[in-house]
Amino acid sequence: MEPNVFEKILTRLIKSESGIRRAILVDRTGLTIAHASKFSSYYPIDVEGIGAIASAIFVGSEEQGKNLDIGDLQMVISEFENGKIFAISCGQGVLCLITDPDVNIGMIRLLMKRTAAELGKLLDEFLSATVSIPVEEKKEEEEELKAALDALEQL
Amino acid sequence: MPRVDPQGRLHFKIVFWGPSLSGKTTSLRWIYNNVEGITKGRFVSIEDPTGRTLYFDYTPVSISSKVVFDLYTVAGQRRHKIQRRKVLEGVDGILFVADSDPAQLQENEISMTELRQLLGDKLGREIPLVVLLNKRDLPNAVSKETLLNALKIVPVNIRVYEGIAIRGIGVKQAFKAIVREVLWNYYQRAKQQKAQ
Repeated sequence: MEPNVFEKILTRLIKSESGIRRAILVDRTGLTIAHASKFSSYYPIDVEGIGAIASAIFVGSEEQGKNLDIGDLQMVISEFENGKIFAISCGQGVLCLITDPDVNIGMIRLLMKRTAAELGKLLDEFLSATVSIPVEEKKEEEEELKAALDALEQL
Repeated sequence: MPRVDPQGRLHFKIVFWGPSLSGKTTSLRWIYNNVEGITKGRFVSIEDPTGRTLYFDYTPVSISSKVVFDLYTVAGQRRHKIQRRKVLEGVDGILFVADSDPAQLQENEISMTELRQLLGDKLGREIPLVVLLNKRDLPNAVSKETLLNALKIVPVNIRVYEGIAIRGIGVKQAFKAIVREVLWNYYQRAKQQKAQ
């Protein structure tokens, strides 16, 4: 799989509708897989922290739906004074968009559903591929683990 | 199993578990503020207006360029059971923070029982466990033996540290121990996998 395939899809999504500021893809354990932002909205944010919260809120809401027996969660929309956050399930992950407050909600829903279907397949492929790493990469990984163990002893 | 991000970094998830007010957040904050030689991300907390953890605290730290530890605490209060279960998804190691206050003995036991129910046989085997007995400075602190008995922990199999989280005593040692066990555990499993 191309290493920046997720960023490309997220960037395309941002460009497809005005008002989308950022897009973040996370897995359901809180790990940020990819993110993209509009140049005009670029300022340093804690993407990993935002990803962890986005994932937690989505899986928490899913659980709430299960407990109340009201079916699968379609989308989470959080409305703020100066923006909106949309989150939708995509395979083993969650796609999250941060938008301007006056964005076209119908269009965002449509775009997110389409993109989630595309991303979901790729993400499932990516997450399952990381479980079986090729032997040559294993060797590299072994070195990294040794380096980390050495660094730990220096703390 | 750790996760690999698109940059090729290995992410291990370590969860600080334990009953309400046992010192999970205090321990994580102490590590965040005081341990040098690790690269830290931001400290994220979802807490209630009184400062008690409502969902989790989270911070990513790395000790080498390719290995990241995603450190989480859970909300200890009983009513947050569902949130705890969610935070536990994908966990690679547990640092159990126990409370030495005699009044909290049963809460320690309940918390450990819940953890065992959620992780089953994996706890202490596939998912390493380290125990930090916190608040050892309490004048009426329960004995180490009583606390370990309540937790059903045999110190021969599980690393146990005594500490005072607000002063950082024992915290770094316990943190290093769980990180070491998580790395070592994965290293051994990766080696076995390679040999097959």
